[in-house]
Amino acid sequence: MSKAKTQQPAVIHKVIMVGSGGVGKSALTLQFMYEEFVEDYEPTKADSYRKKVVLDGEEVQIDILDTAGQEDYAAIRDNYFRSGEGFLCVFSITEQESFQATSEFREQILRVKNDDNIPFLLVGNKADLEEKRQVTAEEAQHRAQQWNVPYVETSAKTNANVDKVFYDLMREIRSRKMDASKQNNGKKIKKKDSKRKKCTIL
Amino acid sequence: MADKRLIADLSVKGFDPNLYVSRAAEGGEDALLDLKQRIHILGDKTAQELKKNVYKNYSQFIDTAREISIVEGEMYQLSHMLTEQKGLMASMMEMSLVSDKAVVEEPQKEAEPEINPKEETRRNLAFLLEKVEGCSSVTEVPGRQLIHNGDLTELDIESLTPTQKVHAFLLTDSLMIASWLPNRRGPVRYRFQGLYELDNLAVVNVRDAGPVKNAFKILMFPASKIYQTDSAKSKRQWLDILEETKKKKASRDKQKKEVVQRLAEQQSVASLSRVEEASKTSFVDEEDKTTLVEFETDTLLQEDWLQELPENLDMCIAQRDFEGAVDLVEKVNEYLKESSKSPSLKEFRARIDHRVKQLTEGLMSELQVSPERSLRGGPRAARRAVAQLIRLGKSAQACDLFLKNRSAIIKYNIRQLKFEGATTLYIRCMCAVFFNSLLETSKEFLKAFPNHYGCYSAFIVWCKQELELFVKTFNRHVFDGKTSSTTVAECVSISRKHCQELCQSGLDIAYLFDGLISSDLENTIIEKREQLKDIVKYRSADDLWRPMNHMSQKDCQKYLDEMASARMDLKDYVYQECFISLTMNTAQFAKSCFQYTEDLLLVYSQEHEALITDSLVQVISEQLQHIEASLKSDKFKEDHNFILKNALFIVEVLMGRLERLYRDFQVTFPPELNAIRENYKHLKAVAKSVKT
Repeated sequence: MSKAKTQQPAVIHKVIMVGSGGVGKSALTLQFMYEEFVEDYEPTKADSYRKKVVLDGEEVQIDILDTAGQEDYAAIRDNYFRSGEGFLCVFSITEQESFQATSEFREQILRVKNDDNIPFLLVGNKADLEEKRQVTAEEAQHRAQQWNVPYVETSAKTNANVDKVFYDLMREIRSRKMDASKQNNGKKIKKKDSKRKKCTIL
Repeated sequence: MADKRLIADLSVKGFDPNLYVSRAAEGGEDALLDLKQRIHILGDKTAQELKKNVYKNYSQFIDTAREISIVEGEMYQLSHMLTEQKGLMASMMEMSLVSDKAVVEEPQKEAEPEINPKEETRRNLAFLLEKVEGCSSVTEVPGRQLIHNGDLTELDIESLTPTQKVHAFLLTDSLMIASWLPNRRGPVRYRFQGLYELDNLAVVNVRDAGPVKNAFKILMFPASKIYQTDSAKSKRQWLDILEETKKKKASRDKQKKEVVQRLAEQQSVASLSRVEEASKTSFVDEEDKTTLVEFETDTLLQEDWLQELPENLDMCIAQRDFEGAVDLVEKVNEYLKESSKSPSLKEFRARIDHRVKQLTEGLMSELQVSPERSLRGGPRAARRAVAQLIRLGKSAQACDLFLKNRSAIIKYNIRQLKFEGATTLYIRCMCAVFFNSLLETSKEFLKAFPNHYGCYSAFIVWCKQELELFVKTFNRHVFDGKTSSTTVAECVSISRKHCQELCQSGLDIAYLFDGLISSDLENTIIEKREQLKDIVKYRSADDLWRPMNHMSQKDCQKYLDEMASARMDLKDYVYQECFISLTMNTAQFAKSCFQYTEDLLLVYSQEHEALITDSLVQVISEQLQHIEASLKSDKFKEDHNFILKNALFIVEVLMGRLERLYRDFQVTFPPELNAIRENYKHLKAVAKSVKT
């Protein structure tokens, strides 16, 4: 791999961070990217990162879209979701509202992607602040089971489980891609199926 | 060693061969012979060395030439790059002036509300028209202004390698991307690429993408793009201005909504009071009326499905669900037909119109003929796009494209045919392809454009053009001067038959076809006539008036068979097994005359009737003249009976055959030909007069 810089690994997994404002999406992203914890809070608009990682011996790229927790426009939010292949749905275990909001995010993602099995992880962040916990592991676990997705508790501050959530999600994306390529073996993706059913919200 | 000395001796300055030889001769014969041999060897060696040197020089020369050509190429590249750079510099200078202006203008606008927004728009956007090709629709929306613009490099979303240079124009409500046209002189430097509404445009700051710096993403369904600016500062500027513009637009929209809501409340109160007032006075304030209209249309636009319509249309277009898209367009047109014009409606209209344009482009490209597209889909494939275009009221374009598409198919199909061997075979295939395509097109056309009578004339014009093209090819193959009249006749009759078939389905192009080949056909008839007359003259010159002798019964039978294949029965003229009591000249003439008549009848048409008859009369008369001349000649005094027998054969048997041929073709036997029969009497009289 001593070739030119532009020689990127072919596979790119597109991960999207969703969740309410202030739950630590950017903190998780920055911890994963640079292994540093940023204490100051500054609302994100929409940032994108790309990094080369080795996933089970294979060199791939991860493309992270760190979205704004407070995005007012549904159309724009839909555009974010459309570009993703897997989602880390983050809430803060110290804030019940952020946990409630995950349902809404999940619903929107499923609506946009029209795929119940989209790679998706429910992430309870700020696990280091056990004393301020408002969301129990059980109820989060329960919701994850309902959605048939994994639930992981992380701490961007202590770097607990941070790499795990990203790598787990990438593995799911990868296996989904392999299934898809097996299924339509050279054929085009059936576009008709992905036709989006519109439902009006609010 | 000896060789070296020899070389040294021979290459001494002022070498005197005579002296050298005489000195060498002193050594006696053996030494001399030895020297001779050595000199020979040296000579050979030198020649070889010389050859090697020449070759070496030559290869060096080639290498040098190659090097020079490489250098030349590099120089050329360099000069090309320089001119490119120069162009870039020039455009950058122009751009920076303008963008400075735009940026400077911005705060001013904020400070004081625009006095004349329309004027401002015009001025601002007129500049777009000058710079960008194909963006006229963008400038038509009232109130739209240029906020910011700048050069960007578009990157590949996966590999992040640069793909093209673009120029982005941020307008009050949308972002326009125009691709940079390299090697373009004059003011138009960009081509319109897309207009994206800020409402559903997501901007993503690319904070870290490995080696690629200063990039940001624009997510606009269904495409997402990634652009790179030239500096961190300009990226920051872009992001901030985008954000700000979006916010402004959002607040504007919000304000509008609030106004509408407030109006709605007022209106409901007002309407109540007005009912009471109405009894007193019917006077309604003019201003009130306009607000009422505005309110109505704005509430009209509040419909959910209407709000989502632009997005849904985008989706349909992206999924190539053209029917669905047209359905939506029709629905909205129907819905908005009644409503009056208000600014907000106009704006909405502009949004829809923009998409209709996209949709039309999509449909048009569906019908466009391009080399990489397969044409095998046939007319049914085009029908779908045509139908939708008609529904959008673009029947003229649809018709034009449909016919162009058909033209390409015909051209392609004809090109697929291989020209090998017989012209007739090729023409047969070509006719089949061409006329079937015409038939198919006409059927398809009637199906695709029912009740669009305006398009029918276009179809007729198209048919004529296609036919002209066809005849051009036809002529090239058929009337090339080398083709025999039989082939010509067959080809013409094949084509005519096809024309008639087409005529039965309501498209009469037979007269066109006849008109187009008329002159060539006449030329061929005349040419052949002259040829036949020449042959008659040539054969007559050495006609000895002897019966044919085929030497054996077998050969005679063979000849009879040959003539029979040309439908000439000569059995009655055989005597003594191998003799035929006709001259070779007569028999051959009868055969070619019969063939000629058959060819002529195959291409028979009323307008050529006179020519055909005249040609036949001329040819036969030529032969009869020869007979008359022979009768008058002293040379054949003894052969009068035999000559007259030949004459009788021509006048009776051949003419009889020709008459039957005419009957077979259902053409009346012309009296001019019938009159030829009278010639026998005249010939007999001539014979008598010569004898006496």
